[in-house]
Amino acid sequence: MKANGNPTIVERYSLLDRVVHIVHAAAMLALIITGLKMYFGWNFMSFHTARALHMFAVPFLLVVNWFLIPVSIVLATGGGIKEKFLHFLDHYVFGPRDASRMAGIIGNFFGKGKYPAFTIYDEASGHYKTKLHPLMKILIVLEGLAIVIIAITGIVLYSLNWSLFGLPIASWILSAGGLIAPSFGMSSLAFLRTLHLLMTYWFVFELVVHVGILELDPNVWKYYKAIFWSGKEDLKDTHYVKIVKTPSNLADKGRRNH
Amino acid sequence: MSTGIKNLVQTLDSVDFLKMDRRTFMKAVGFLGASTFLSSFQTEIVNALEFAETKIVWLHGSECTGCSESLLNAANPDILQALTKLNVNLAYHETLLAQQGIWVDNKLANTSELNSEILLDDLIKEGNYILVVEGAIPNGPNGSGRYLVLGNKPFKDIVGEAAKNANAILAVGACACWGGITSAKSAVVQETDYRGTAFLKTDASKGILSELNIDKPVINIAGCPPHPDWILLTLGAVILGKIRIPDDLPDILDQYHRPKVFYPPDHVVHDNCPRRGYYDQGLFEDQAGGPYCLWKLGCKAPYAHGDCAIRKWNNSLSVCTQAGPCSACVEPGWPDSSRPLYVESEGKGVLLGENVGTIAKVAVGAAAVAAGVHAVRRMKGE
Repeated sequence: MKANGNPTIVERYSLLDRVVHIVHAAAMLALIITGLKMYFGWNFMSFHTARALHMFAVPFLLVVNWFLIPVSIVLATGGGIKEKFLHFLDHYVFGPRDASRMAGIIGNFFGKGKYPAFTIYDEASGHYKTKLHPLMKILIVLEGLAIVIIAITGIVLYSLNWSLFGLPIASWILSAGGLIAPSFGMSSLAFLRTLHLLMTYWFVFELVVHVGILELDPNVWKYYKAIFWSGKEDLKDTHYVKIVKTPSNLADKGRRNH
Repeated sequence: MSTGIKNLVQTLDSVDFLKMDRRTFMKAVGFLGASTFLSSFQTEIVNALEFAETKIVWLHGSECTGCSESLLNAANPDILQALTKLNVNLAYHETLLAQQGIWVDNKLANTSELNSEILLDDLIKEGNYILVVEGAIPNGPNGSGRYLVLGNKPFKDIVGEAAKNANAILAVGACACWGGITSAKSAVVQETDYRGTAFLKTDASKGILSELNIDKPVINIAGCPPHPDWILLTLGAVILGKIRIPDDLPDILDQYHRPKVFYPPDHVVHDNCPRRGYYDQGLFEDQAGGPYCLWKLGCKAPYAHGDCAIRKWNNSLSVCTQAGPCSACVEPGWPDSSRPLYVESEGKGVLLGENVGTIAKVAVGAAAVAAGVHAVRRMKGE
């Protein structure tokens, strides 16, 4: 989508994308910090404040991940279910072309070859064919899974008898945990608490990878401005960007092959 | 007795305890404790049981007798008072009865008045008793159960015979519930093959009754040892018919067959620990002897479903965590599920012997180094 007045400036992130990312980042940071405060007993705030902030951040994280992100994906493109699904595949699912790019990135890390472009913009259609770093496509899948795990284990830590519409959810989670926990020589509750902590560490790890490996590059800083504020990308800056011009009759075929 | 409890007892004095429905009864029993329960409702209980003596057959397997000791430590009522008030005939209890096994020329001699083995045989044949199992039941070697033999009979077979004719079965203590210390990981555990009555650790298909193809429900009074209240009040509820077996058991017991009233699924010892305030302040002990929260010393109270911190022990004076870390002895699979005892559960090795904290440090450290190298290379434009 071209910005008004300047044919090289396009919208990389919609307003919804930016809001989602900011809320997600803030909620995640709040959860990591308050969670580790409770676990380690850091003394910069009271337990009750940390717990209250922790519980306050939970709905934000869950609403963003389980509602707004799917909505954002659905709204990102026109057309029917098939088009939306193909857009989802192109933009968020790690595919063969991402694997090829990832191989090039790893090769570059070890001094072989150029850093491949991971943002592909189709000038003919006026849309990105794909834009995320291939490593990011792996991370978001793992993060989605980690959010599910940390939410489920978090229910038990929040209340051992939490129920929804009369359904004893916490009890079911404890029973399910009891199927796996003995393999680790733990009780179900100890296992679920440990899993919750492990997922917290995963988010710290992911943060280091996301910010450290993907973003500590002056040529990528343009994307900070885009994701947090403007949402725009200037295609004149060709770092990591490749502009293609797919004839309309080939565009659909290309998508299917992607 | 505190003023609050006195007032409560006075209020409840006007309640016909025996007409309470089972749910209310169990709640009240759990709340009151054995002492208040038995002393408050003595008249009703005596009237109800006047013509209905209940026999108890109490078997001892592989154990330390700590569970019986715990019961003997009950102070108000003591065991004799409780037995009298509940009109119980403790017909067989190996460490308390006067009889002993007498063999002459490889044959049982004398009568049940003197010979404990004849007494036990007679009781089992008569039936109509509550069976209490204390201690684990060895299934080894090779399924013979001959690592524990009474007279010439494997204990495993005695438990089986006694279970078949019992009106109710209680497994008392961690060993009888799931094997306890006797089934903890060791070089000989496969050989000895100790089992709980209805469970082996958390596995309900490997209790000794399953091994013997006996399908009878078992109430697990977990703990090492269990609180005397837990034993007395469960027995009391069974004797008074407040727990109908097996009809009421699915509602009363948790998935590990523990009475939910004493082992609350929705609470852990940590919730009411006397040191809890220090946890909330983030004050943790890193060595034994101090007043603060013992979580980082391996206290398992956050994972222990027991009412210990409310009911308290030693005639309601104290609870384990006032002395040292809780080991969650009420949990299935104990002690293996709590080992290492002095390491917090989150600090337990899960991958190549390393805990999640160490794994995370290595992963985050490696990512940070990679990020640094990557950043330098990108800034150089390579």
